[in-house]
Amino acid sequence: MYYQNQNQSAFMQEEDLLYTILADLKRTVREYTTAATESSCPMVRQMFSQLNNDTLRLQGELYNLMKQNNMYSTSGKALRQDLDKQIQDARNTQQQCRQFVQQKTSGMSPYAHAPNVPLHQQNNQNPYYM
Amino acid sequence: MQSGQMQAITGKELEYIVDSISNEDLLIKQCAATAAVTQNPAIQQALQQYIRSMDHHLDMLVQSLQQHQQLAPTQPQQ
Repeated sequence: MYYQNQNQSAFMQEEDLLYTILADLKRTVREYTTAATESSCPMVRQMFSQLNNDTLRLQGELYNLMKQNNMYSTSGKALRQDLDKQIQDARNTQQQCRQFVQQKTSGMSPYAHAPNVPLHQQNNQNPYYM
Repeated sequence: MQSGQMQAITGKELEYIVDSISNEDLLIKQCAATAAVTQNPAIQQALQQYIRSMDHHLDMLVQSLQQHQQLAPTQPQQ
């Protein structure tokens, strides 16, 4: 694969070189996130956070550039039925999570009265508006 | 950065800074090597811009080591 074009003396194809840079940018972003979360000194944390944002920006720029030059193929589109199923599952998760929170926190403040409408009715009617 | 927030860095923070310097160094070299062989001017220009950004990252990391140099204890502490 590396020697299929006329540029046979190249160390690696340009596309593979760029992909390696992209992969290392992704790894570096992850490491900056870990470093920021494990920093004790506020200045060091701020620096890692800033480096994280900037490296994430570079990774995004390189990804777009590779995509524009047809060097990166994204995975196939997710199917509608898969989305439908995941949305339904997510709604159930969300509802159970809220019920759990309700059970745990209902006695915590004078404002935590029992609701006089069925729980989460509005979310079932309009799940896209939170 | 505010000097009031400055604390002596931990051994773990030092390791992360040193690893980060190594990461940025490798990225700069990869960008330079790729910029040298690419035939695409847009990619070459982008890579040169990345090198400048990463060089700035290296500066920040080295500066943070220098800024914490004076705060570091000379004896191991609990």
